[in-house]
Amino acid sequence: MIEISKVTKKYYTLTALDNVSLQIPAGEVFGLLGPNGAGKTTLFKLIAGIINPTAGKIKPAGDVWPAIGYKPERLLFPNHLRVNEYLRQVARLSGLPGPQINRAVNESLERVNLQSAANKKIRECSKGMRQRLAMAQILIGDPPLLLLDEPSNGLDPTGQAEIHACIQSLHQSGKTIVMSTHHLPEVTQVCTQLVILNRGQIHYENSMAQAMAAQSHIRIRANKPLEEFGQSLAALHDGVDVAGDIVYLKGEAMEMRRQVLVMLLEAGFDVLRVEHNRISLAEIYAEAVQ
Amino acid sequence: MTQRILALSRYFFRSLLISLTGIIYILVGLAYWLVMFPPDQRTPDASYYILVLAAFGAAMTFLCTLSIASKANQVGHAPWIVRLPSRVEYLTAVLLSSILFATILQLVLAILALFRGPDLSLDQVLLIPPIWLALNTLTAVLALHASDFVAAGWSRVFLFGLIAIFLFGQSLNNKSSLNTWIILRLNDLSRSLVGAGMVTLVTPLNNLAGWLQQDGASALSSFFSLPFWPFRAIADAVVVGSFNTSQALAPAILLLYATLLIMLAADVFANKDLDLTE
Repeated sequence: MIEISKVTKKYYTLTALDNVSLQIPAGEVFGLLGPNGAGKTTLFKLIAGIINPTAGKIKPAGDVWPAIGYKPERLLFPNHLRVNEYLRQVARLSGLPGPQINRAVNESLERVNLQSAANKKIRECSKGMRQRLAMAQILIGDPPLLLLDEPSNGLDPTGQAEIHACIQSLHQSGKTIVMSTHHLPEVTQVCTQLVILNRGQIHYENSMAQAMAAQSHIRIRANKPLEEFGQSLAALHDGVDVAGDIVYLKGEAMEMRRQVLVMLLEAGFDVLRVEHNRISLAEIYAEAVQ
Repeated sequence: MTQRILALSRYFFRSLLISLTGIIYILVGLAYWLVMFPPDQRTPDASYYILVLAAFGAAMTFLCTLSIASKANQVGHAPWIVRLPSRVEYLTAVLLSSILFATILQLVLAILALFRGPDLSLDQVLLIPPIWLALNTLTAVLALHASDFVAAGWSRVFLFGLIAIFLFGQSLNNKSSLNTWIILRLNDLSRSLVGAGMVTLVTPLNNLAGWLQQDGASALSSFFSLPFWPFRAIADAVVVGSFNTSQALAPAILLLYATLLIMLAADVFANKDLDLTE
């Protein structure tokens, strides 16, 4: 849907993004992770067209830019408006014809569970309500590309679960979603693609399924150090590592577990423990941003 | 497109109307009326009426545009800007709402000023719309260029620097201190070039200084004052009470200036990094 090629963004001497290339395919939920100042919000602003790249290009897959629903990180609204007035304005700007405006507003309020605050002034809304309002406005007009900068920040666990359910249902309806968050379980729950940014560069990029699978390993513990026999095990495959009395099988080498176990037993070692360890997203993240 | 521009214009108009700034502008307008058209005495001069209210409209349009542009430049509007197929729609809405707000205020004052004011003939009434609208539109666009909302990099310095050069350039004549200062600097530069051995450049500089000393200054002055002709033509026409053939072009030329400046503003705004404020 969107192709980002060799994009660099500089603010005077500060390089916020450095030669970033990324494909955002249609229908995926892209999770952008990274520490503060990694360049996530800059990437959002570039995709939204609020700022322009210093170098490189951002272009849609077709020639025409899709309509974009954008939820900025900061929850700032025209405070003098009421919730439904604000959403009606969004509906008008989305080009909805008059009779459909109220229906679209009511549907979006219902979807984020904010019907009770429809007539409330925005200045009187709590942080959670503002977060829901920010989500409600992106739903109006049914834009195919949604940019969500920290969508559940400031919500209680129930509110977070509702936003996650909302994102999942949007994904099922075919929307392309790019979201950033510092909340790692949120990424595991709703994202299909994972990108980790640090200091303006992409340090990790994978699908969620592959990210979790690629980093898992099998750990076999023998009763004594393997020494020279360990070297013959390590020579079996690149994914076999030996450290002291432990054999690690990573990636494709995990399929060789039976063979390794048989070799250990035949060589006179006892097998004390076999574990299948799955690496957590936190570990992937920590490794990427180090 | 029309629906989006009108929706945004209504929003900006309303935002200014219910804000403290909007209320202050209305109070300033009333104070202006009390001072310039005191209700306890007659102000029968039609040309005074047209020109004083034209000046008020222009000033108010400038201020309203600055205020609305500042509101439009707030980060809370980012999701709206992203929704628009073109940023120029947003710019148009800012321009439209500013001109509308100031013009309505100007018309209210114009009606109030008719109380014990001049008895305008139909010819005089017909003079008013092209003059006021052209001036209001031009000042609105100038205000856009002066605002953070549209300005990018050195754009406003270049534009207003150019206007300042033309304004100062008008006062050039053979005996003006500005002319003398320029001639002295040219002579200094000639001497420095002789010292540096760049003799070939000295003759053109001396010729330029000589030309400025004779009739060059007045020619330059005429050149610099040319863009301001429509303003003088409008003032003359208002004093006389009607436009002659060439003066009738003056409001159209002001609108032409405004059009060129709108195109420049649209280009700058469409390509700049939006630096939205909180």
